[in-house]
Amino acid sequence: MKSIFSIDPLIFVPALLLSVIGIIGIYSTGFNTEIAFYKGMYVKQIYWLIMGLILFFTMMVIPLRFHEIFAYIYYLIAIIMLAGVLWFGTAGGAKAMRWFSIGVFNLQPAEFAKIALVFAIARFLAHYKGKFPSTPGVIVVLALGLIPFGLVVKQPDLGTALVFGVITMFLLYWAGLNSFHLFLFISPTISMIAAFNPIPLAIFIFLLVVSLLIARTDLKVSVGVIIINILFGILTPVLWNKLHDYQKLRILTFLDPGRDPRGAGYQIIQSKIAIGAGGLFGKGIGMGTQTKLAYLPTQHTDFIFSVIGEEFGFLGAVIIILLFTILLIRGITIAAKTRKGFLGLVAGGFVAIIAFQVLVNIGMTVGLMPVTGLPLPFVSYGGTSMIAFWVIVGILTAINRDWRSY
Amino acid sequence: MVPHRIEFRYRIMAKRSKISDIRAKHTIIALLILFLILTGRLFSLQVVSHSYYRQISENNSIRMVPIAAPRGFIKDRNGKPLVTNRALYTISYLPYMSDAKFRHIDYLADLIGVDRQLLEEKLNAPIRNRYEPIKLVRGVDFGVICKIEENSEKIPGIIYQTEITRQYPADGYGSHLFGYVGEISDAELRKRDPNIYKSGCIIGIGGLEEEYDKVLRGRDGVEYLEVAASGKILGRSPYRESVPPQVGSELILNIDWKTQCVAESLLSGYIGGAAVAIDPSNGEVIAFVSKPNFDNNAFAGVISEELWASVANDTTHPLLNRACVGTYPPGSIFKPITAAAALESDSVSINDKFQPCYGSMRFGNRIFKCWKPSGHGRLDMLGAIIQSCDIYFYQVGKIIGLDVWAKYSKGCGFGERTDLDYPSESSGLSPSREYLDRKYGAGDWSRLLILNLAIGQGELLVTPLQMAVFYSALANGGTVYKPRLVNKIISPDGEIFKTKTEVLRSLPFSASTISFLVKALTAVVEDPAGTGAAARIPSITVAGKTGTAQNPHGLEHSWFCCFAPVEDPKIAVAIIAENAGHGSAHAAPIAREIVKAYLSSIGVL
Repeated sequence: MKSIFSIDPLIFVPALLLSVIGIIGIYSTGFNTEIAFYKGMYVKQIYWLIMGLILFFTMMVIPLRFHEIFAYIYYLIAIIMLAGVLWFGTAGGAKAMRWFSIGVFNLQPAEFAKIALVFAIARFLAHYKGKFPSTPGVIVVLALGLIPFGLVVKQPDLGTALVFGVITMFLLYWAGLNSFHLFLFISPTISMIAAFNPIPLAIFIFLLVVSLLIARTDLKVSVGVIIINILFGILTPVLWNKLHDYQKLRILTFLDPGRDPRGAGYQIIQSKIAIGAGGLFGKGIGMGTQTKLAYLPTQHTDFIFSVIGEEFGFLGAVIIILLFTILLIRGITIAAKTRKGFLGLVAGGFVAIIAFQVLVNIGMTVGLMPVTGLPLPFVSYGGTSMIAFWVIVGILTAINRDWRSY
Repeated sequence: MVPHRIEFRYRIMAKRSKISDIRAKHTIIALLILFLILTGRLFSLQVVSHSYYRQISENNSIRMVPIAAPRGFIKDRNGKPLVTNRALYTISYLPYMSDAKFRHIDYLADLIGVDRQLLEEKLNAPIRNRYEPIKLVRGVDFGVICKIEENSEKIPGIIYQTEITRQYPADGYGSHLFGYVGEISDAELRKRDPNIYKSGCIIGIGGLEEEYDKVLRGRDGVEYLEVAASGKILGRSPYRESVPPQVGSELILNIDWKTQCVAESLLSGYIGGAAVAIDPSNGEVIAFVSKPNFDNNAFAGVISEELWASVANDTTHPLLNRACVGTYPPGSIFKPITAAAALESDSVSINDKFQPCYGSMRFGNRIFKCWKPSGHGRLDMLGAIIQSCDIYFYQVGKIIGLDVWAKYSKGCGFGERTDLDYPSESSGLSPSREYLDRKYGAGDWSRLLILNLAIGQGELLVTPLQMAVFYSALANGGTVYKPRLVNKIISPDGEIFKTKTEVLRSLPFSASTISFLVKALTAVVEDPAGTGAAARIPSITVAGKTGTAQNPHGLEHSWFCCFAPVEDPKIAVAIIAENAGHGSAHAAPIAREIVKAYLSSIGVL
């Protein structure tokens, strides 16, 4: 029996290093001449790191069976909290109801709801009697994911909501759904993008029909897929108009940051400038002019990667990506190793969360993704996020320790 | 646990585990590809396009501010500073220094003595940038600044800014000589070298300021300031070194300021006038006056639209430089040239007497008058010059004819610029056959025109500078030197560049002709019958010629040209007092004082 606190270095070390890099980055935003409250921020982040580490070891102590038993309860609590925040929560900027203000702390339930969803879907799939994938099974999983997705979209927080979508899709895949079917699931989103012009939409629907015929898919499923795609295609322009203006603007300026260089495009432009100006080795701590002189907004949260890109250059950026790569590959290996349904799915779900947020956050800072509010795990400033991710790696480490005897 | 359920589960798990393996592989591959794309993008931004983004980040955060270079001083021949620099103060409001709108308008208006409404307008204008000062009043004096400083707590947000501008002598003395400074116009900007002249920079306008602008202006420095996203300036940028400004070079003039002031003050009483004094041995310009003056201190400071308009529309044309741009009929001061032309062409000798002067004479079908109605009687050339008899010279003119006269007039340099180191100069007009043919049609002009030209009237036009240059040449025996205002240019590191004496030409007269003229001109002043008696200076021999030029606009112009001492001439002067009357009465006494002032200045008197 391994010691109860045997940690997996390939998980612990990258997570810790990333947290420390984050603290250094946040420390350097303290040199910002315009925004005074950045100065003491890194101290708070150290505090959150300590909290995170405490919870990390707590997760090592809690038996994994516990989570399997309470998975649906977690899920229920999460749904209640998400609903609650819509009615009783505090608005942040952009009229988003994301937080509960409890005394001095801001609690974001969405972070823990992600974990809860992973547990719920993993529990369901692990106990599923019968062959998977099967239509009713898939529908239940989709339903499980749709509820929190819908609640978060209402906040409104499209970025975070997408995480729930990604968790759902990845776990379906991980549990056995084959790629083609996965493609079929994603096809409505492709229809959505093509929907702005009838010609590409028609071409895509045609290709879809052809591929369904070649794959000899079940008739009911094929018809269902085509219908849903056509529906999405028709409804998209309608839904587009229902988007809040700032969301529309975000998407449009993502496609063309120059369109509104002082507003929505500003962040992307300044982020690219910061990163590009960093060069190979960066300008050094506290020497980043984009950071220091406040040309880069939300530097401590969304754009913390840009700060590091400016001050530590390509070297720093690659180190961060490398650390995440190590962490994620290790996570996947654990998820594959533990062929025990529940644990493997939980690990897979966690990997999906981390991977998605890393890709979206860094992608946003280099202009490959639209601006979303997704923090960079371990690095971005934020207590809820830090604690949630240390809980995640704590559980991953426990899984790695216990999978054989589960 | 039932055995077959375990088995069942095991099978599913085994199947699932195989699936998981492939999926694991695919997931890892997908992840690596995506991260590789990110890394590739980072590489493209941070390595490939690095310099591009670096430039933008610097442009974001660095502002280039020019540091104005102080202009070089202008000093007279004795080293006396004439044109120096002074501070120009502007009172401004800096919005970010106070949170609320500025409330103390009345107090401020009182304190600095400015109309309340004016301040209100400026302060209520929409603010574009809280860190950019709003100019309220430009060109206040130092006393006002002191008051601002003393009471600064009562007027938060009010600051003052300093610019450098020029300080010229008072009363507009030398205003034409120096010119003034002002902001470069768009038209000028297009003509000049963009490396040196940028939009908004200050250049010399008119006079020496313009002629020697490149030398006087020095080189502006650059300061690199670090600026935050809000527009706030934080200080010097640590990334770029400032370039200090280079002070302009100094001009040491040939002008003797004491002499200049005498000329300035004596000409003040007249509607208009000019005085040019030159050293006959080398062409150095000792005095250079044009009246009326204008207030170049006002032009260099903050000039109101009303003042500018009033000066530009002033019918006395204060901006016209009468010393070298204004052209006038010379009148009798041109008679020596007519005489010399006659002698040199062997048409006339000094003893020829011709018809006596009875006040008027008929030529062709016209009557030509002499300035003295009672006439001069019978004179030889010497006498005709001493008493300035028109009738004598009409006859000389008729004898030599237009072509001869025109040839010698051109040969002396009339109708041509003297190339003074000054931005504008008129060439005057020395008529010739070709000119008259072009103007009136071939041969379609009276043969009697030469009569007027012979006495310096008619279509002949000269500048006071040309007259001074000519009389200098007479004084030194016939060498026409190029006139120069500037003696030396001293660069800030002490290098001295001295302007060279240059010969333009020699007068087309023999030594004997010239010495006769000198003798005659001396007699004009020293002889009891001479018209130039008013120019006599005890213990110094002065040679000169009066002129009273008719002109259609009013009273005659009063001219006097002279040089002294005759034995070893140190100064040659040409003076004109517009519409003043007789040369003997007005211009001659002024010339006398100018000569006295200079000769005592150099210790000859």
